[in-house]
Amino acid sequence: MGRYIARRLLYLMMVVLIITLATFLIFYVMPPGDPAVAFAGKTPTPEVIEQVKIQFGLDKPIHVQYLTFVRNIFLGDEYGWPGLGFSFDTRSPVKEELFTRAAVTMQLGFGAAVLWLLVGISVGIVSALRRRTMVDRAAMGFALFGVSAPVFAVGLFALFVFWQQLDWSPGTGYVPIREDPGEWLAHMILPWAVLALQYAAFYARMVRGNLLETLGEDYIRTARAKGLSERKVIGKHGLRSSLTPVVTIFGLDFSLLLGGAVLTESVFNIPGLGQLVISAVNRSDIPVVLAVTVVAALFVTFMSLVVDVIYGFLDPRVRLS
Amino acid sequence: MPSKKNLWVVALLLVLSLVAAACGGTGDDAGQVDTPDTGEVTKGGVATWESEEFAFTNGFDPTGEYLGEAWAVMTNMLLRTLVSYPHVAGAPGNEIVPDLAEDLPEVSEDGLTYTFKLKEGIKFGPPVSREITSKDIEYAFRRIATESQVAQYANYYEGTIKGLEVGKDPGPGGIEGIETPDDKTIVFTLTKPTGDFLNRVAMPATAPIPEEVAKCFTKAGEYGRYLISSAGYMFEGSEDLDISSCDTMKPISGFNPTKSQVFVRNPDYDQATDEYRQNNIDGMEHRLNTNTNDFEQKVIAGDVDFVYTPTPATLRKFVQDPELKQRLYINPGDRTWYITMNLAEPPFDDIHVRKAANLIMDKEGLQRAWGGPTQGEIATHIIPDAMLNEALAEYDPYPSENHAGDEAAAKEEMKQSKYDTDGDGVCDDPVCEDVLQIGSNTPPNTDMLPVVESSLEKIGITLDSREVTDAYTPIQTVAKEVPISIRPGWGKDYPDAFTFVGFLFDSDFPCTGNYNYSLVGLTEEKAKECGIDMPDEPIPSVDKDIATCVDLTGEERLNCWAELDKKLMEEVVPWIPYLDAQVVFGTSPRVTKFEFDQFAGHVAWSNIALTEVANE
Repeated sequence: MGRYIARRLLYLMMVVLIITLATFLIFYVMPPGDPAVAFAGKTPTPEVIEQVKIQFGLDKPIHVQYLTFVRNIFLGDEYGWPGLGFSFDTRSPVKEELFTRAAVTMQLGFGAAVLWLLVGISVGIVSALRRRTMVDRAAMGFALFGVSAPVFAVGLFALFVFWQQLDWSPGTGYVPIREDPGEWLAHMILPWAVLALQYAAFYARMVRGNLLETLGEDYIRTARAKGLSERKVIGKHGLRSSLTPVVTIFGLDFSLLLGGAVLTESVFNIPGLGQLVISAVNRSDIPVVLAVTVVAALFVTFMSLVVDVIYGFLDPRVRLS
Repeated sequence: MPSKKNLWVVALLLVLSLVAAACGGTGDDAGQVDTPDTGEVTKGGVATWESEEFAFTNGFDPTGEYLGEAWAVMTNMLLRTLVSYPHVAGAPGNEIVPDLAEDLPEVSEDGLTYTFKLKEGIKFGPPVSREITSKDIEYAFRRIATESQVAQYANYYEGTIKGLEVGKDPGPGGIEGIETPDDKTIVFTLTKPTGDFLNRVAMPATAPIPEEVAKCFTKAGEYGRYLISSAGYMFEGSEDLDISSCDTMKPISGFNPTKSQVFVRNPDYDQATDEYRQNNIDGMEHRLNTNTNDFEQKVIAGDVDFVYTPTPATLRKFVQDPELKQRLYINPGDRTWYITMNLAEPPFDDIHVRKAANLIMDKEGLQRAWGGPTQGEIATHIIPDAMLNEALAEYDPYPSENHAGDEAAAKEEMKQSKYDTDGDGVCDDPVCEDVLQIGSNTPPNTDMLPVVESSLEKIGITLDSREVTDAYTPIQTVAKEVPISIRPGWGKDYPDAFTFVGFLFDSDFPCTGNYNYSLVGLTEEKAKECGIDMPDEPIPSVDKDIATCVDLTGEERLNCWAELDKKLMEEVVPWIPYLDAQVVFGTSPRVTKFEFDQFAGHVAWSNIALTEVANE
């Protein structure tokens, strides 16, 4: 297992490097305009543009810029480790802003994940056990709605109903938990619910399908034939194998989410990574875009590693292969 | 969230404003909304403003910051300059008045020496809290001349103030053209008479900066988070800035570049020294909110005080609802939107084609594409009327009924073109087919395009339009040889026409990042440098006219710019100007006095007032 993890870590590094290279090329090489012009004022003279380039490090050959960027990630820069550079827009180190934002996105992600796992798995199980009943149809109707409804539309609708009409929610914005835990919770409930809806719906459909398939397996029939209670048959034998794929999907979904729940954060004005990257793209703040990309890529590759390791423990066949 | 008590107060205000509207009347036209006269202003309250981004060009460091919204905050709340503006709307708002200086300067007869005397008792805000001296102003100019600070409008000073050269160390004696014989006197020596020099020393970059703080920040934009106030407000938390050494300084808490700017009163400010800032409010919070719909609704509901250029849907609500209409403020933005024609590219290398294009253009249709008269009045010439003291308010060299285009006159003009060989008033040369046009892929450009295309088709010009995200990059690159673009607009830097024609028609333009899109004054040498062919017919230049106007002052200067505007419109014809943009603000009912800062084109934060509700 140790060798397996080491190999996967190496693979993780390579993936991150490839992603940074691709992002670097997209934002530094492909744009038609010069990023320095955007930060050189309304009527930039060639001298001013040149100065901006020097300050942003854009005056160096592109391969030097990239190698410096990669070196700084691993060895750190003047603002410490990991070296994520200096924001063109805010004129401050990217690292501190990025970590602050990542913490907010994690709060959003964890809360939503708890909700969608609870709701999605429960609804999926109930739906599978009450197959072809009204409960099943209602649950799958909910799932279809959740999967189909765009998160921004649901978010705006939720704000309209629960904030503007019913006044049950304090509306948009974010209050740090250390400032006021009650307000933090009040501001997070609606974003959690909206974000969780889509995932919960998807998980409900997945769990229902898996469980129905599992319940038709020979070993389930054998368990029933041996006289085990229905509770044990489903709880011990059915659920265990039907939930195993959920672990894989959850790992990927959650890690993708930590890269920034762009729409949810924008609609609810939550200062997370998604909001940061949107603003950075709009402002051609390339160091921030790159830093968020690196962090998001790390989340995804790391979580996929974790999932694979967990999966190996859950399913010995994976370990053996 | 408004409390029930607040709602009652808001409701009462709504009723009162409706009564006031009934008694006083309102503007019938959406573009002519009256400002409610609420009598005596209330002191206090914290104004709130939300927007999607700050969009600072230089991290809010006054030395390089080049954003109107930032200038409005700086000049109203944070920075005082030798001379300034009264922070009001219209022509009075463009008047130069003394600020740090006791009076307007003493100017030598040759117009080369300006001597300012500073008022007594004006201090920097915390934590510096010491009297401002002439050396603090001289230091601001040294920062402008420091290459690494990237002063984005250093061109207003370089070559004008003797010895001020960006990137050149002025040495221990300082900049040759700036003398500080004592703490309260500063003398500028210029290289040439400069009629708008006072406008230039009213720019935020020239405000005093305490060297003991700013010397620690050598990169462009860094000082923005440590900005020390010299006016009525300061960043919240300024007093906590530890200036005992460079290492101990941490960014002021009141400015988080990805979240908010919070301003509170500056305890070291002396209102008696300031005639033009009322400083009614206790503070201001500018917060970022990525949900535009959300913050616009908050303004309507009264939870946030200002929305800048509301989206069309929200603007409609403001215009159509009688109560909301009372809270809509529209002011001239001193910005012209125009269609640019390249004088070096056929068919626009022929002045008759350019004149015909002006005559045929359905400007009323273009105005509608922008959202109607609320967005701006139809432009008939280049320089905004407010900057010419309305000297050309009635001037329209290409008139048509309702500004919808005059087909007969356009065809008459086209008949004189070399591209209309059969003289039927319609271009029949292949150069008029599929003429490349570069525009933006977002409204209003996308809505304008059908209007422009159908107008030009009437005189035989068909367009091959490309709608792109960044239209400015190709049209600013001379070698791209873009014949026509509907994208451009230009706003003033300060209220003098030099900030229009000085940039837009100077023949000494760069080959990339060029703002003289029409290539007025293109020479063979420049064409070669930029890698394009020189057209057969010479391209007119207005360099001499600009040089003449620059030396003048007062009424003479205004008239000179007005004459140049006419010359450009009739003898050069580089543009089809179509809209004098207006600046639109919606406010909450808590705003009892709205004031527009004509210089900055934004809210005059120092002269607005709120009800006491805002304190809660």
